[in-house]
Amino acid sequence: MLAGYLVIMATLGFGLRRLRRPETGDRHERGPAAGQPAGPRAAAGSRRGWLLLARQVAGTAVGGYLLLMAVVIAYYYGVARVGGDFIKSAVTGTAMLIGIALPPWGAASWLTERRRQRDSDTAGERKARSP
Amino acid sequence: MARHPLAGYLVWAALFAALFAWEGLSLARVDSLPTLSDAFRVIMRYPVGRWALFALWLWAGWHFFVRGWHFLLRA
Repeated sequence: MLAGYLVIMATLGFGLRRLRRPETGDRHERGPAAGQPAGPRAAAGSRRGWLLLARQVAGTAVGGYLLLMAVVIAYYYGVARVGGDFIKSAVTGTAMLIGIALPPWGAASWLTERRRQRDSDTAGERKARSP
Repeated sequence: MARHPLAGYLVWAALFAALFAWEGLSLARVDSLPTLSDAFRVIMRYPVGRWALFALWLWAGWHFFVRGWHFLLRA
């Protein structure tokens, strides 16, 4: 267990180190509103970006959930009748996981983006004040 | 706990070792091999790919953390 953990952490650390190098900057993921211009149009664009992101996340969650349920039901009736309330556990357990994971993810994304925008505004003001 | 032949565990160990070896080589940019992130990025371009990855994530979470557990360790 410890060896597996160390291998995974070492691989992740190595990967992060490679990604942080400037020549591999093209591999970085950017946020939903990254690189947008400042001002009222930026606010409207940001709102639209959030809506698109929410739509994509909701679509992915619903699509993934339904796909997994289809696989679970096909497995149960086509391959093996697993005991222990298999289908009920799959339906409720995965729904619970989505309910647990999505709200903190949404909050973290919102906070990260808010902080990024605040930093960007502060840098813009500082630049405007300087002669 | 059920006992299984050692060969079965060795196959799983070899598969995971191959996965990490491949990832290590691609991160070291040997012959420009795609990393796992590159592969996932390609898959996630398409809605069906995103559904499949999300379903896989959901299955892993359910299988390892939810299945077989009872609320407040109810017997």
